[in-house]
Amino acid sequence: MEPVSTLLSDSAAYHLGLGIAAVGAAMGLGWSVSKAMEAMARQPEAAGRIQTAMIIGCAFIEALAIYALISSFIR
Amino acid sequence: MHSLQDILHLHVVQASDADSGKSGPPLPPDIISMIHHWGEGIWLFERMYDFKYQIYILITIGLIYLVFSRAGRNASIRPGRLQALAELLIEAVYGIVEGILGPKDARRYFPFLGTLFIFILFMNFLGLVPLMASPTANILVTGSLAICVFLYVQYTGLVRQGVKGYFFHLMGEPRDPVGWALVPLFLPLHILEELIKPLSLACRLYGNVYGKEILLGVLLLLGIWMVQGFIPGTFIGVPLHFPAMFLAILLGAIQALVFTLLATVYISLVLPHDDHHGEEHGADGAAH
Repeated sequence: MEPVSTLLSDSAAYHLGLGIAAVGAAMGLGWSVSKAMEAMARQPEAAGRIQTAMIIGCAFIEALAIYALISSFIR
Repeated sequence: MHSLQDILHLHVVQASDADSGKSGPPLPPDIISMIHHWGEGIWLFERMYDFKYQIYILITIGLIYLVFSRAGRNASIRPGRLQALAELLIEAVYGIVEGILGPKDARRYFPFLGTLFIFILFMNFLGLVPLMASPTANILVTGSLAICVFLYVQYTGLVRQGVKGYFFHLMGEPRDPVGWALVPLFLPLHILEELIKPLSLACRLYGNVYGKEILLGVLLLLGIWMVQGFIPGTFIGVPLHFPAMFLAILLGAIQALVFTLLATVYISLVLPHDDHHGEEHGADGAAH
């Protein structure tokens, strides 16, 4: 009978944690994009600046999910 | 030495961990890994493989020099296409930096921030060229860039605010007894914050670019497996990674912009902000 691996990277908990991080990032991104779209609908002439700020905010939120992904590269 | 057949089959390079012997995620093939696999044991190829990312950084610098020296040659008021493209890139970044720092400081710190943006942009895009890999797909490269930003920001803070002003800023700028009582709380927090901010910069860029490489590698492998069911021993495959290339272009540009933007914000945080209060009050007084 083979011994069960005790490495975190071999367990299911790691994949579950990655999924939860993705859910958090998705909720944050959805909220930010929806607010950006509301603001653009209110003031179409500021759409360019709002879009730039939205893209930058999305990169920050995305980074949090990527920190969870990085833990898989570091064994 | 491997045969030509072996090299043609090395369409997707397995990133293997030399220490544990386990193979890592598949990556798109790059020329240095292919040469190293073809001539395993040759001293020159082994050293080339050890310095793989440094060689790609040198290739990036060569590309940047070629593009921008040609764009700047015979610069005229009516620009040609290459000069117009270079001006577009630089003016876009300068506009964003100026929005954060104000015209005087933006002019002063833009050489560093603009170089950072162009460098990271070219490094991210180098991974999309068929036989190349992104140097930023390595935590050491992105960590070095983050250390550069860290040192530059701290140096700027020390120069602009003076050593005493810098420590005052680190303590949270206490002005009343409540502020002074909170110093033991603020000082470690601020020091930790100053150390973690470059770490987050490095991790964000590294995770995005390395994840992009893994995505491309896995899709390439899937495309090849699909064709191998019909024609065994082939090195062509269904181009499933084509949509992922667009994602890679978009994310590469965005990550370069975010890195530069965050460096700008960190610089703006260590600049003295007393004069801004005076300007704001002046503007309010004129408006009312």
